[in-house]
Amino acid sequence: MLFRLSLLWVWICLAAGSPIHAQPEVIARLPHTTRAEILARARKVANHTWTCGASNLRASCSSRYQSDWKAGQRVTGVPYCWGGTDGPEDFEKKLSKGLAAGAHSRYGVLKCTAGIDCSGYILLTWGLSGHAYSTSNLRIIAGKPKYNWFTDMKPGDVLNKPGSHVVLFTGYYPDGGIGVCEASGSQSRVVCHKTTWSRFKGYIPLQYKGIDD
Amino acid sequence: MARPSGIFLIFLFFGFLTSDAPGRQTGPPRDASSAPTRVIKIPVRAITTQEVSGIANTDTAALLVSPGAEDELPEGPNGFDVLGDDSLVITDPLRNSVSFFDSQGKFRSAWKIGFSADSVTAVPNGNILIREARTGQVHVFDAKGQERPEERAEIPKSPEAKILSGTSGTVQRPAVGGFQGGLLTIQFEKPGSTLVSLENLGTDSEGDTYVALEATTGATGDDINVSKHVRRYSADGKIIAEIANLPLDYYIPPVNELRVHRALVYQLFATKSEVRINIWNTNQRDFRSLR
Repeated sequence: MLFRLSLLWVWICLAAGSPIHAQPEVIARLPHTTRAEILARARKVANHTWTCGASNLRASCSSRYQSDWKAGQRVTGVPYCWGGTDGPEDFEKKLSKGLAAGAHSRYGVLKCTAGIDCSGYILLTWGLSGHAYSTSNLRIIAGKPKYNWFTDMKPGDVLNKPGSHVVLFTGYYPDGGIGVCEASGSQSRVVCHKTTWSRFKGYIPLQYKGIDD
Repeated sequence: MARPSGIFLIFLFFGFLTSDAPGRQTGPPRDASSAPTRVIKIPVRAITTQEVSGIANTDTAALLVSPGAEDELPEGPNGFDVLGDDSLVITDPLRNSVSFFDSQGKFRSAWKIGFSADSVTAVPNGNILIREARTGQVHVFDAKGQERPEERAEIPKSPEAKILSGTSGTVQRPAVGGFQGGLLTIQFEKPGSTLVSLENLGTDSEGDTYVALEATTGATGDDINVSKHVRRYSADGKIIAEIANLPLDYYIPPVNELRVHRALVYQLFATKSEVRINIWNTNQRDFRSLR
């Protein structure tokens, strides 16, 4: 019965023109970008080197907060910050104001921290500012490509699991492994690395609708 | 986007309500999974937002996990290795430590290493290489847990592998002991499946090589659909064991997923309630290939 009700919901969404489907005016307003620009932005965030000051170890708005870093530590990669959208420039401005570097969801929603999360990172690489989209509604601005995902994905496409995580695809390796860039909570920062397909079982490949191919 | 016409929608609506989709077979039957020979289960403790501070000092026998949230993956133990006496070392990144368990999964001890680790590798000289998750730096520890800051080391890389087609590939085998090494050709011919990746997990002194293969039954379906298998090849290139369809529904994505030790294949597989180490004995008849 639940299955049928969920199908009924899909049907109602279809009939009502649900926002999960591309609205032409939204797509028309998307900034256009090239794959080379996407990768350049992705690498800039992953390669950004910063120094954690003593004032960036504490979050003034949370007594429970614990920093991932040490005072004076040099780090490569903008730190992971749940709900964050900061590129290198905004991140540095916030660091200089004494905001805490990075945060995880276990500390709750914090406004006194700086950094970027997985979907914020993808939006930034696509040239979008803010956090209007998350893994749950990324489909509004990104479509599922019809080509073979294991051979024909292009750098700048993403692998998305709604409600969970999203990574930027950067290329294939000769052994069949894949290169990705991601804002990683477990690594506390934006990183680019090689990984395996098994990690992405259940993810959906998506292609930004503002790409100029 | 054009909306479906009214007649079409009504047809679709009644079609849905009268269908029995959940019980219907929609594709070919899936290949059977190879059940592990043995499973070690280690308890985990989930951090709540109320107790994030001070939790690092709690009972170290239970590994810590952070459940994550919308747009944040769960975090916790994602690296492991098997030591010479078959005991296990597992990263406990939220406690800035690594924990040691005997071959039955009983907690032995923990090293407070002072950083969050996401990969641990035991090397032949007895040292343990531990990678710092937040910097990527590899730290060298001796068998007693003393850090050797003067020693520099890199985590050994897997020998080169190459996909040649959807049914074949090659992996490079290093010279080990009396085995000369050389190229191993992999053939993967399963109807409806396409080979997508290869990884050499290791070659032993007899020349037996363990290879992880990823395959897919569909490259354009609803979502990424992959299966993972581990094969043991003899020095002369014959398949002598195969573990089919490893579980892949990880709660925490592993960095060190598979290890091979004394013909046993170990898999780190974290669930919401425990960290499992799935173990397959490739000497056992269940996994010996009849080909």
